[in-house]
Amino acid sequence: MVFIFGVNFHEQKLVKKALESFYALGPQTSERILAKYYIHPRAKIGTLPPKTLTALTAELSTMTIEGDARRIIQDNIKRLRDMGTYRGRRHAMGLPVRGQRTKNQTETAKKLNRIERRG
Amino acid sequence: MSAPNCLRGLVRPSATIPISAPRSAAPRAAPIGLARPAPFSTTALNARRQDPNQQGGGGKGHVRQGKKLKLGKFKKTAVESKGKPPLPGERRAYRKRITLSNDNAIPVPWLKDIGADGLANAQNIARVLALPEEVQDQLRASEAFKPTQCWGMFRKPSLLVRKESVDLMNRIQTSVDNKQTLRLVVTGDKVTGKSMMLLQAQAHAFLNNWIVIHVPEGQELTTACTEYAPIPNTDPVQYMQPVYILKLLQSIKRANEKILAKTYTMTGHPELPQNITPNTPLLALCNAAKEPDSAWPVFQALWNELTAHGTAANRPPILLSLDGLAHVMRVSDYRSPAFERIHSHDLALVRLFTDTLGGAVQFPAGGAVLAATSRNNAPRSPSMELSLAQREAEQAKREEVPQKDPFFRGYDDRVEAVLRSVQVIRLGGVSKLEARALMEYWAASGMLRATVDEKAVTEKWTLAGSGVLGEMERAALLTMRI
Repeated sequence: MVFIFGVNFHEQKLVKKALESFYALGPQTSERILAKYYIHPRAKIGTLPPKTLTALTAELSTMTIEGDARRIIQDNIKRLRDMGTYRGRRHAMGLPVRGQRTKNQTETAKKLNRIERRG
Repeated sequence: MSAPNCLRGLVRPSATIPISAPRSAAPRAAPIGLARPAPFSTTALNARRQDPNQQGGGGKGHVRQGKKLKLGKFKKTAVESKGKPPLPGERRAYRKRITLSNDNAIPVPWLKDIGADGLANAQNIARVLALPEEVQDQLRASEAFKPTQCWGMFRKPSLLVRKESVDLMNRIQTSVDNKQTLRLVVTGDKVTGKSMMLLQAQAHAFLNNWIVIHVPEGQELTTACTEYAPIPNTDPVQYMQPVYILKLLQSIKRANEKILAKTYTMTGHPELPQNITPNTPLLALCNAAKEPDSAWPVFQALWNELTAHGTAANRPPILLSLDGLAHVMRVSDYRSPAFERIHSHDLALVRLFTDTLGGAVQFPAGGAVLAATSRNNAPRSPSMELSLAQREAEQAKREEVPQKDPFFRGYDDRVEAVLRSVQVIRLGGVSKLEARALMEYWAASGMLRATVDEKAVTEKWTLAGSGVLGEMERAALLTMRI
């Protein structure tokens, strides 16, 4: 088991997937991080030398990921809500925000649209 | 298309696979309540699900078949156990395994081993010769055999000596005699025996005590599936592939053990982890690489020793070969820190090969650089295709040499520079005489159960698109290479 940015990963996990497991870090960013540290896209975490692991952790700690990224989104929603906009209200009600129908298929909205948004 | 499903289609219907019975065969006196249409299902599992007699409740009429859509929030975990999963690497090892003999095949009494001159001798054209045990081990170590070739059907691995192979060996032999380096690309259609030509060249080299360095798949170097790292103090930056090079060093060591033990270093190599003094066997130099970190310096030291000039008397000839040329003639999948794709020729090992193929490096005691194109999973490389076509036209002294398309951007100058002066051998089908020799060998091994006469040979030869070897195997040996 290897720690990256305080998270424990299995040695057989792909480095790319491990990086993408962080919130607000997608395929584009992870590819660039891999290239920056000369890690080939099919590398597994177990093969990385400790130096690279610490470098990765240092790199991630400079980025806006996980809690910071979540807070930015929540702040944006809160701002809409405080201004009393329609979008803010729809978020508070857990309903679709962009004019979708609400008779059916609003599961995603129910799951995601709230003031303290989780994901 | 998935292979197991295709194969299942060819399996003879047996008792384990339920097939729908024809109506006439159904019992006429069956009670009305039990009468039902024949189950339409292809697998035993589905058939069991469909069969209402086996249902637990009995009373329930409607049972949903197939995959059920789950609407609930929480997914149930699958409880169906599938047995022990294969260990990491096990499936790959099974897929890539190479069987070189079949004890059930009949030994062929007239089969002779290849001698040192066997493949260069024109008298051996259209003869099948066996590989000696020792060469088999060496070829196996250098990964010359491929899992797609059907070695596993015969008692002993044997080769058909073709006109082209004698031609190639003679060219190599001539260049070695003149202490020159032959630079040659083997190309041709699918399954015409390009990799086999490389194997024959390697066998010839091993039989004559040359050093062989073989890169079995060009794609392993450039599809970004092995570690890479920049080499310090290079401009423009070059990249080494430490893990691959360590593997290559070990295979070089295993394949050329005897010759390397008899060849000695000219200079000392204090920069290596293990201090190498002058007059150390090259085998010891190879052994200095224990870790991927030290692999590239050791490989470079070995290469410098092998290509050191002024030492022609005690350096053996060298054969450097690579299969799957198109993969190393393109921009690789690796990325630089600036997120630009790295050109394959900036990878140090590939550069070493292409420099030699381009003529920048000459072996002190002569030798050959061979490359084979591949028609399986090969990327398009317009420059390579054009250059090979041009070289071929020039060699045949044709009037019209193909020219660049002025409206196409995808050409690569670096590739063209490498292939500017190589020789090209194009492989096609074998002659009927060679086809006959091969079929006689198959028949003598018990793998072809037919009389080998003019008619049978012509039939298979024609079926195989005028004697394309792989197609002949497919037609005659019924090898289903999937």
